[in-house]
Amino acid sequence: MSVATLPGTGTQTDSRTAEQTATDVPWVVIVWNDPVNLMSYVSYVFQSYFGYSEAKANQLMLQVHNDGKSVVATGPREEAERHTLAMHSYGLWATFQKADQS
Amino acid sequence: MATGFKLTRKGITAQLEPGERSLLRGLFSDVTTMLEPESAAHEDPLAAMVGLDASAEVPGDPALLRLLPDAVRENDADALEFRRLTERSLREGKIGSLRAASLALESSPLNLDPAQARHFAQALNDVRLVLGSRLGLETDEDAEALHDITEPGDAQNVDEYLALVYNFVTWLQETLMKALLDSLPRR
Repeated sequence: MSVATLPGTGTQTDSRTAEQTATDVPWVVIVWNDPVNLMSYVSYVFQSYFGYSEAKANQLMLQVHNDGKSVVATGPREEAERHTLAMHSYGLWATFQKADQS
Repeated sequence: MATGFKLTRKGITAQLEPGERSLLRGLFSDVTTMLEPESAAHEDPLAAMVGLDASAEVPGDPALLRLLPDAVRENDADALEFRRLTERSLREGKIGSLRAASLALESSPLNLDPAQARHFAQALNDVRLVLGSRLGLETDEDAEALHDITEPGDAQNVDEYLALVYNFVTWLQETLMKALLDSLPRR
């Protein structure tokens, strides 16, 4: 994790503080491929939970299926956490992380 | 054989045979039992009320881990912290969907409004995740290898019986998805 934005110190004392000062770096929600979830179900979740169009939901679903993962939402940390938990409630395999983290 | 779910003017409906209802009821009940928290909620009423579980650990059972996965990759400490803040409410939400789905099975024919249909889809999906884990499905090819086991006569052992059940629940989920996707407003 980058701590370069923490002013005055060269060390990381509190990860929350470091995250709050790095407001320019958003957080992302990644959905990972798995052999069980149906393509139709994944598309349904993206349409009904995120409100994405059928075309966008199918595009994200195919990216998960073909590439193994897809970034399905971007925003502040709290939002990424909330979306990740919602994906788990639907049984999709999701994680959240900073957008610049590989 | 059941006819699966259909979108009608009355909502999403399905005709299921008694044996199929009883199979689904048993599966929903098994997954509910897996998800019930090990530590009783009365241990700390305030923590339970806000959904905290400071003693939550990564599940040792791979099927339960698939239902309650880590939310952070390659950082076990952050993943565990998030689990302790959220796992109890995730368990309760899933149990709520499984109970709603069981309740819907009591009416014949099944008739689901949009919220009930979502609960039913979530419940079927959690059942499939557990069966898929028990069957050791790790790749899309593993899942495709099971497709041929669709008749009771095809099942000669426990794994083939599990595959038969998995294929039935998958087929039912597919018909529900088609009905649900047809019911969404076009965007």
